[in-house]
Amino acid sequence: MKCYSCGGEVGLTDKVCPYCGRDLTETASYRADEEKYQQRSEKTKKKAGGIIKENLSMVISAGIMIVLVIGVIIASYVNENAYFFKKDAIRKESVKNYDECSAKMKEYLNAGDYTGFAAYKEAHNIDELNAPYDDLELLWSITEQYVKMVHVVESSVIYASDADRYKPEDNVDDCQSAIDFFYREFEMNLSDIDEDPYKEYIYGMRNQADVILEVYLGLDENGRKEYFEGSDVTQRAYLEGVLIDE
Amino acid sequence: MNKKVFYPISIVVNILLVIAIVVLLKNAGHKMKFEYVDTERISQESMRTSFEKGCYGQAVLASYPVRGGAEIAKEYEEYYRLGEYTELKFFKEVYAKEGNADMLTSCDKRLSELREEMPDYATLFDKIDQSTDKAIRE
Repeated sequence: MKCYSCGGEVGLTDKVCPYCGRDLTETASYRADEEKYQQRSEKTKKKAGGIIKENLSMVISAGIMIVLVIGVIIASYVNENAYFFKKDAIRKESVKNYDECSAKMKEYLNAGDYTGFAAYKEAHNIDELNAPYDDLELLWSITEQYVKMVHVVESSVIYASDADRYKPEDNVDDCQSAIDFFYREFEMNLSDIDEDPYKEYIYGMRNQADVILEVYLGLDENGRKEYFEGSDVTQRAYLEGVLIDE
Repeated sequence: MNKKVFYPISIVVNILLVIAIVVLLKNAGHKMKFEYVDTERISQESMRTSFEKGCYGQAVLASYPVRGGAEIAKEYEEYYRLGEYTELKFFKEVYAKEGNADMLTSCDKRLSELREEMPDYATLFDKIDQSTDKAIRE
């Protein structure tokens, strides 16, 4: 815009010309416009304030909802992974307390309580695949099969005389495969077992497995020899005789 | 109109979201407290069912981590202890056959402790004893 007195360049809101000092607000139309715009501005401000006031509660509620949705997502993630968080924390604790945990496991193993050892290892989430417990790897792979075999035998033979047994023939299948897996795992790793720092415990476990078969399945030394030399069919027939027919 | 409809809905949704957060965090806390033994309620239910049906040996699988010091839920503690009793009773015969006198003594001691700690289950302990004795084949 140009000053209508000196022709100098002036801003739209300048009230005085910066070049000649002429009052630029003296015209009636300018004043009328200014008033009109001020009124409009007030009106718009009032309208905006009214809209904000009217919807404030809605805006706050929406804001809370967004925060809560984020909270639900975080809580779901924590809930879904709580098991792993806890397991990981226990694993880290077992690494931190290596000496204590190792001593406790040795205590179970020395006592011949191999299921106790397995329970301790699982409860403390001891990671046999990574340092400092990686020397347990072979012992643990045999122990896993041993524990499965023990539990299958327990499930198959300890029940009340009036028990409501669900499919006893499944016990036969489970027993046959659990026994097979344990002894096969042992035989397959025989050369590694002899090199293993825990070989005495692995052999101890094998001897205890023999005793379990003798005490609860009636397989003494000769019986076991005959059983393991037999076919799947004869093994199954033997176990059916012990677990179902009697 | 929109405000009249959406505002009450948003309040209800917010309340539901708060409930969801509380439930999720409570579950997460429970899981963290009792670790893996308690994460699968089904195993505890199956343990209870096994005892009710007289299939004592079946309950041992779910209960055996308690022997390694796993934390357990108080409400199911007795079932875990019954499972522990069954396992020790099973192994008592094995240790006797092995000639492992120390473990035999230790088993006897713990079996007596469990019986003393849970006198209400005396009949069930007797039934477990009978079942284990019956299971011996030699």
